[in-house]
Amino acid sequence: MEILLQNFDLLIFLILIVLGYSAGTWAEKRHYRSINKREKELIKLAVVTAEGNFPPGRVADSTLVSGSVVVSIDYFKRLLAILRNIFGGRVKSYESLVDRARREAILRMKESAKKQGASMIINMRLETATIGRSANKKKSVGSVEAIAYGTAIVMNK
Amino acid sequence: MIMTNVNTVPGKKIVEHFGIVQGSTVRAKHFGRDFMAGLKNLVGGELKGYTELLQDSRQEAMKRMEEQARQMGANAVVNIRFATSSVAQGAAELFAYGTAVRVE
Amino acid sequence: MKFTPIQLEDNINVSKSHPLSELLWLVGGLILLVGLTFIVLGVTADWAVSKTPVKIETWMGKLALNQFPATESAALQQRLQPLLDQLPLDSPLRQYRFRIFLSETPEVNAIALPGGNIVVFSGLLQQVKSENELAMVLAHELGHFAHRDHMRSLGRGLGLAVATALLFGENNAASELASKALLSFQVRYSQAQESAADQFGLDLLTKRYGHAGGATDFFSRLAKDAGNKLPYILASHPHPQDRIEALQRHIKNQHYHLKKTLPLEEDLAEPQ
Repeated sequence: MEILLQNFDLLIFLILIVLGYSAGTWAEKRHYRSINKREKELIKLAVVTAEGNFPPGRVADSTLVSGSVVVSIDYFKRLLAILRNIFGGRVKSYESLVDRARREAILRMKESAKKQGASMIINMRLETATIGRSANKKKSVGSVEAIAYGTAIVMNK
Repeated sequence: MIMTNVNTVPGKKIVEHFGIVQGSTVRAKHFGRDFMAGLKNLVGGELKGYTELLQDSRQEAMKRMEEQARQMGANAVVNIRFATSSVAQGAAELFAYGTAVRVE
Repeated sequence: MKFTPIQLEDNINVSKSHPLSELLWLVGGLILLVGLTFIVLGVTADWAVSKTPVKIETWMGKLALNQFPATESAALQQRLQPLLDQLPLDSPLRQYRFRIFLSETPEVNAIALPGGNIVVFSGLLQQVKSENELAMVLAHELGHFAHRDHMRSLGRGLGLAVATALLFGENNAASELASKALLSFQVRYSQAQESAADQFGLDLLTKRYGHAGGATDFFSRLAKDAGNKLPYILASHPHPQDRIEALQRHIKNQHYHLKKTLPLEEDLAEPQ
């Protein structure tokens, strides 16, 4: 018992790592499943980065749509990123974070376009921001915000 | 693979499009580079290590986007945009996205 | 222009490798890096220490001594002298002019400061029951001087601080991690130093009294309060029980005799 108390810091650290790893992996898997499912549902809605070229009379309505999300990294992956910072190279643990954030933002944008009856989104743009400038500093949260926006086009029937 | 950052592939006709493709990468430099950059900060000038890092990341992001487009069966990506962000201290995130199309 | 929706199964933007295998690689790399840094630092520090003349040490000792509220003790000096007389003529310890101080602090400890200064805390004196034990403690501190440990750990500590600041930058999560790892190497090293000083102390004690009696008494008193061995993995000193065992092994190998110890004389004995 005494030993546990004396190495309390270490113990908490280990618990956080294990918790971060298991909960983080579970949450990520669940998120990816949901992303894949919704992407399939919305696959008919075209999203392009190009400006559309429409003949007069074809477009009934056009409106700006956007979707955004903030995703945070788990404790385990943050440790990996910190270690990676020493050696350099691909920060693999952050890859899935930004990938998830961006796909989720696009999905939310598509969902909002679908509600308005749009059939396509043109001139889509993506931005990522970090909330708080010191994302990887000791006690702050490592998170990423993604925002997707574009012009939703509702066609004449 | 044809890459452009305008709406079309000039001189060619787009016959089919597949939606957006994106490629991203997060990279960090090793501590030696950080150290040199810190020194360079004293006198100013180009931070070669960091320039290289950005270049590598951009190339990788492009490569990944291209790979996605290829998997979709496209032969060109139009209206490509680049963006950066700083997800982590000392690491650069580069991402590229565009519309995958097939041209004649 | 026709739109063909395609759902990709393969996600190119996320690397396929398993995070746990990456953790293993990174941690292994860190240990290797830190180990190498430590070896290089150690070699440089040892080299610098061997080139540092005793004069500079004496000057540093004066600075260090100001940190401790201590008075020079004639009674302790009296007991140190016969130990010093036992030293071989070519011993590096002959270059020092030893001064011994008594500090009124309840801590059970004694320290070797640069320049031949030894500070004994009064908390330690209360624990000591025989002349032989006291001689063992003093001889142990002399051992630190003989190996110049006080200078080495100073040099290493300085080197470690500079190295982590230079390599990883300050105020950075990575640098904190690296310096923690470096520190655990430092602890290993420090434990080895203590054991070496113990052995030196034992040899000197045996020369002084002709037998090794009382060498382990002090540690066995400490061992009673020391408790479990696990916390000592991260401590600067080895567990008292381990020290006793190491000493007993040395006594056996050298065929030292164990005879009765002399009780502590009045000038240092605890007032009843």
